[in-house]
Amino acid sequence: MIFSRTFNACTVLCTMILCSLPTQRTTGAPDDTFFEKQVRPLLVKRCYKCHSGTKTSGSLALDSRAGWQRGGESGPAIMPGQPESSLLVQAINYDGLEMPPNKAGGKLSDAEIAILTKWVKLGANDPRTKSVRHGGMSSEQARSWWAFQSLPKLTEPVAPQEIDRFVDASLKTRSLVKSSPADRRTLIRRATYDLTGLPPTPEDVDRFVSDESDDAFAKVIDRLLASPQYGVKWGRHWLDVVRYADTAGENTDRPLPHAWRYRNWVIDSFNHDLPFDQFVRMQLAGDLLQLNDKTIADGDGIIATGYLAIARRFGHDIDKDIHLMHEDVIDNVGKNFLGLSIGCARCHDHKYDPLTAEDYYALYGIFSSTRFAFPGCEPNGQPRDLVPLLTQAEIDSRTNAWRQRNEKAVAEKKRLAESSDSMRTTIRELAAKSSRLLAESKVDEGASVSFVDSKSVALDQLPLKKGEILQLTVSPNASHGADTTLVEWEISETSGPRRTWSVADFISTLTDGNPRTFDDGSSWSFLDVTDGPVFLTEKKDVVAERSDLNAWSLGDTPSVLVNRSTEPIKVWTTLPPRSFFVHPGVNRNVAVAWVCPGDMTVTVKGRVADSHPAGGDGVAFRLDHIAAEKAGPALVELGMLASSPDIFVEPQPSIPVAYAVVEGSVADACLHQRGDPEQPGDAVPRRWLSIFGGEPVPSEAGSGRRQLGDWIVGHPLSARVMVNRIWQWHLGRGLVSTPNDFGARGERPSHPELLDWLAAAFRESGYSVKSMHRLIMLTDAYRRSSEVSDSSATDDADNRYLSRFARRRLNAEEIRDSLLAAGNNLDTSPAEAHPFPAEATWNFTQHNPFSAVYTTSKRSAFLMVQRQRRDPYLALFDGADPNASTAVRQRTTVPTQALYFMNAPFVHEQAAGFARRLLAADVPNDHARVQLAFRLLYQRQPTPAEVEHGAVFLEQYPGSDDEKWAAWSRVLITANEFLYLD
Amino acid sequence: MKSKYAPDRRAFLRSSVAGSMLMPGIVHQLLADSNDPLAERQPHFQAKAKRVIFLFMTGGVSHVDTFDPKPELTRDHGKEINADHPEIKDRPGYERIYLKRPQWEFAPHGKCGTEVSTLFPHVAGCVDDIAMIRSMHTSHSNHYNATLGMHTGSFTFSRPSLGAWVSYGLGTMNRNLPGFVVIAPRQTYAGTQVYASDFLPGAHQGTLVVPGSTPVANVTPQISQDRQKLELAAIRAMNARHLESRNDDALLSARMQSFETAFGMQMAVPEAFDLGGESDQTLQNYGLQRGQTSGFGWQCLAARRLVERGVRFVELIDTGSSGNWDAHGDMMSHIGLAKNVDQPIAALLKDLKQSGMLEDTLVVWTTEFGRTPFNNTADAKGREHHPWAFTSWLAGAGVKPGIVHGATDEHGLRAVEKPVHVHDFHATILHLMGFDHEQLAYRHAGRDYRLTDVEGQVVSDILA
Repeated sequence: MIFSRTFNACTVLCTMILCSLPTQRTTGAPDDTFFEKQVRPLLVKRCYKCHSGTKTSGSLALDSRAGWQRGGESGPAIMPGQPESSLLVQAINYDGLEMPPNKAGGKLSDAEIAILTKWVKLGANDPRTKSVRHGGMSSEQARSWWAFQSLPKLTEPVAPQEIDRFVDASLKTRSLVKSSPADRRTLIRRATYDLTGLPPTPEDVDRFVSDESDDAFAKVIDRLLASPQYGVKWGRHWLDVVRYADTAGENTDRPLPHAWRYRNWVIDSFNHDLPFDQFVRMQLAGDLLQLNDKTIADGDGIIATGYLAIARRFGHDIDKDIHLMHEDVIDNVGKNFLGLSIGCARCHDHKYDPLTAEDYYALYGIFSSTRFAFPGCEPNGQPRDLVPLLTQAEIDSRTNAWRQRNEKAVAEKKRLAESSDSMRTTIRELAAKSSRLLAESKVDEGASVSFVDSKSVALDQLPLKKGEILQLTVSPNASHGADTTLVEWEISETSGPRRTWSVADFISTLTDGNPRTFDDGSSWSFLDVTDGPVFLTEKKDVVAERSDLNAWSLGDTPSVLVNRSTEPIKVWTTLPPRSFFVHPGVNRNVAVAWVCPGDMTVTVKGRVADSHPAGGDGVAFRLDHIAAEKAGPALVELGMLASSPDIFVEPQPSIPVAYAVVEGSVADACLHQRGDPEQPGDAVPRRWLSIFGGEPVPSEAGSGRRQLGDWIVGHPLSARVMVNRIWQWHLGRGLVSTPNDFGARGERPSHPELLDWLAAAFRESGYSVKSMHRLIMLTDAYRRSSEVSDSSATDDADNRYLSRFARRRLNAEEIRDSLLAAGNNLDTSPAEAHPFPAEATWNFTQHNPFSAVYTTSKRSAFLMVQRQRRDPYLALFDGADPNASTAVRQRTTVPTQALYFMNAPFVHEQAAGFARRLLAADVPNDHARVQLAFRLLYQRQPTPAEVEHGAVFLEQYPGSDDEKWAAWSRVLITANEFLYLD
Repeated sequence: MKSKYAPDRRAFLRSSVAGSMLMPGIVHQLLADSNDPLAERQPHFQAKAKRVIFLFMTGGVSHVDTFDPKPELTRDHGKEINADHPEIKDRPGYERIYLKRPQWEFAPHGKCGTEVSTLFPHVAGCVDDIAMIRSMHTSHSNHYNATLGMHTGSFTFSRPSLGAWVSYGLGTMNRNLPGFVVIAPRQTYAGTQVYASDFLPGAHQGTLVVPGSTPVANVTPQISQDRQKLELAAIRAMNARHLESRNDDALLSARMQSFETAFGMQMAVPEAFDLGGESDQTLQNYGLQRGQTSGFGWQCLAARRLVERGVRFVELIDTGSSGNWDAHGDMMSHIGLAKNVDQPIAALLKDLKQSGMLEDTLVVWTTEFGRTPFNNTADAKGREHHPWAFTSWLAGAGVKPGIVHGATDEHGLRAVEKPVHVHDFHATILHLMGFDHEQLAYRHAGRDYRLTDVEGQVVSDILA
């Protein structure tokens, strides 16, 4: 029912696609039978790996008739009816060419050679005339798809001039005029923001401007690349693409307290220039790689797989919607590393790209064979499967050492807890059997009720046995505030020594003990009796800063309290002198219990009064006789246990963990028909995308994550996609302007040869991202000014052909970091964990989901990113979407952003900080102060006119110097020059 | 600091202050191009509705106790039934279920005679303006998913909200106010996703207003207006110099312009939310005390003021993700919740009608799903989540007034007659705004996305 509507359209679509698939079965001609039974299986088994799909070694395809008819580099492969003239037959006989080569399994058997020879001799009947489709493309289309082609071999040394050659050629064909080179101040501001997300200091600018050496800019780049702030900026780029978040995104949006380790690993990896291929492998299978690679620092391999773990979780019960998490993973892996929307193939073959639903479930099996850390959700509250960052031996040694040190204490503590529990059970059972209600009443607001006035049995001749208990219980009614309750209670023998016992006896000595015991064997206990007797163990010799108020309590309430002064004391209410009080807690009943010291007959007198008539609904009390002789001694013993000094046990050693993945139980996944996990189809073997050869995960290889990493980085697509991103993050626009889509629906590259060249250079550099920065930033194209020539404005309006540098607004993080830096409030040290509430306290529900905004003076890349409730600042300034891969940030200009600059307290604080900095600066006069401000914020000297305008403003603006300079600081940080990068 | 040029410099400052910077109603010629996501645009075809007020009741309102009379449910109270219902599947204690009667009386109202229960006496007085849809149904029985679906058409993923789509399609009519405003005392299920622009340009995301003395973030100046004018004039002067050497870059101009709008918003926003000028009678109609700045009455009156001032889409959320209509424990909680919204909603409808604005304003009332007409004992006090059937209604521009559309079965279990799915509901709302829901699309990540995904049929029976 739920799914039927959603999938109607999918059904139609799937049916359409299925109908358009070529029918592989043929009818009629007996020759087909030979082909289908013997030839096709042989070709599939021994030849397809290198000669089908986009894998066409020597340009020869053997997966269609057209393929061998067209032939490869050496000409048509088969001459029908003439085996001796057919290259294919020669090659399988190792006559000239040797096919299949040794690395692909070696020569065919004689029987196999005979089959193919016979086939050719009989005329090479081949029913595979319709083109084979891979999802949305025929295999021919897929084979020739631009993005899947191998990378060119570089003949010239890699140099920035090569890039300019491509760019200039493209400008020339379009008769576009390049803008002039940017001046040095513009260039260093651009480069510093570009690589670190922060402005350069005036000293940096001066040094560069006065550096006359040829490699002055190269030195700037090297300095910036060596700064740890570089990783913060470029790591954040990557976090955009992997849709990093600090919450899980399921219905309660639980915090991920350990996700930060992945975030910081990304930042560190950029700082260390971890080769990109290794960076990719680590994120998919670092846990497996670190087993055999000692160069991987402890735990880094595990932490890196946080990439997979931070996948968004869905629904109320995550496990029931786990297929959606897997879709999120596959979708991101596809877009992120390959620029392919593989996620689209969940319900049906891809409509446009050569991806099938089988491809999707082949990858699905890899991830469903992986155990993902579980963040908790409403029906399964606690996180699990977090991955320890220590070896089992290290964990054991830590916990064993702890256990040894604390063994005795733990055992003793346990023993005490057990005997208390058993004692409590005994008392409860005795009370249940023998308890007799003596008196009971409600005490209205401000009222006083004596025992005899209440509904009661006769209290003047009460026979008691030694060890029995009289217990007065006071309960709070519905409203539990303002329930300070006065108790007077006296027990007197009717014969014999005619002793009396009263709560007034120990007003001066209340805190001497609980139980408060006396030499005659009697005792008084102060209890919370809501769930069986629990002693009020918190002794308070000072209450409300008064030492004449003493109490026993658990927290604030329930409590037992005395005023031992001879004067009334006015605190929350006026407490009469020399009085005894009780106060019930929130749904907690408080009790005073007296243990009888001998067999006797007594008279019981007393009253209960609401002493704090401040609204609410008063209290209620009951007086019980627990007629069991063993109850009293048991209660006293329980009290003694409760008041024995606490046994110290060290907290358990904490084991650092990562939100990461490890191998799970390995199995192929079933295809979900029309994407519905309730309708499983056949199992799909775990393998690489069929269009790229479909290599299977070897048996005994585990989930196949390690192989997947190798396949991805082994394909030229991954290098193309990454260099395109690097290019875009430098120049504002990718050579492919759809960086997450290199498929049929994506844009074609503006400079195809340049993209290929860059990808090849990237590979040649050993996938060094830093070397790509140097390469790109040292081009003329990067160093152009943002001035727009007439031809550029009309014929290259969106700067697709790089006739100029594209002016850009600072992004959300850069704005906030620049403001903090201006205000002298930026802390550039890396952050670690967020101050999330402790896991044990989590009770998030969809009704009360997790929600927080944490303030910090660290760089904005460390702001807590929440999936369900976006950080309002990041949302306002187009921060990355934490729910989907953000390949390109939006750059909106809306009035609510202007309101932020005008009125947000944060902006005013930073402006005030900047003003203080100016006023404290060691400069001769205001004129110099204005100059300093321009140098700090805009990295340039003000013009004389600007100095004048500053002076006028300061003169005109009312108020103190602090106010004037703060106002002028706001003007400077609000102006476009601060916010835009030329 | 005095110099002989001082008078000239003062003149320079004064002229900046008096210049276009602070003049209201500036023609936004700089922005009148495709770069401007908020430029006013024409829909696909002429439509009456220019704006929407979307009333969202959080938690799942019981249809059989409010707008969908089921005498047979009363008759068959206690009768055991079978249903393959998502909320009882594999749920301990729910092996057997029994019909549970409605707890409020229904009566016909108005000329049209549409029946409404005693929970909504005031709205009952407006039925002649209302098209009641008693055959609503949805795709999920979880609050989170159903709420997301009702707002974005997606029951699982983040997608642009209905309000964002309308803003995207039509642009804004008043640049001094946001085009899409959400007034909510607390966040509802799925948080900010319900009013997000998602992949649509950020200008279309809903601006959250939390009832209280400062309802919109950052509109309260931290300094006096005189000082602010001096600062803005200086900023403009700096920006003008900056722009001069930068070929009048449209983006830089747009940001300059945005400060003019923002300056206007500082006054327009508080003015829009200042109910001080409303008459005693009006306040009384909405059930408000003078000076009150919260409550659903305040939300409704603020909504009327916002749409009067050209806000395109106003959503009112009555409660939040807790303490709402989610009456598992006791249906009696519907009394207080209905009382909270009934009179204000009726006042809003009457107010709009009286001023003639109901002619071009669409009012939508809905919830995320209904509540079960059964429970695991007939005496259970509450009802469970029910995606199979619920009631929503429309009123105003382009809506056929005084009708009932569709029906549930005799017990209110399933929408059987002319069922209207959430996607159909969205298609209809877009149609009333002048859009073909299949054409209102946005290209993102290689495909065209729509509010209605690949579904949705306009419910033409309710079009006037």
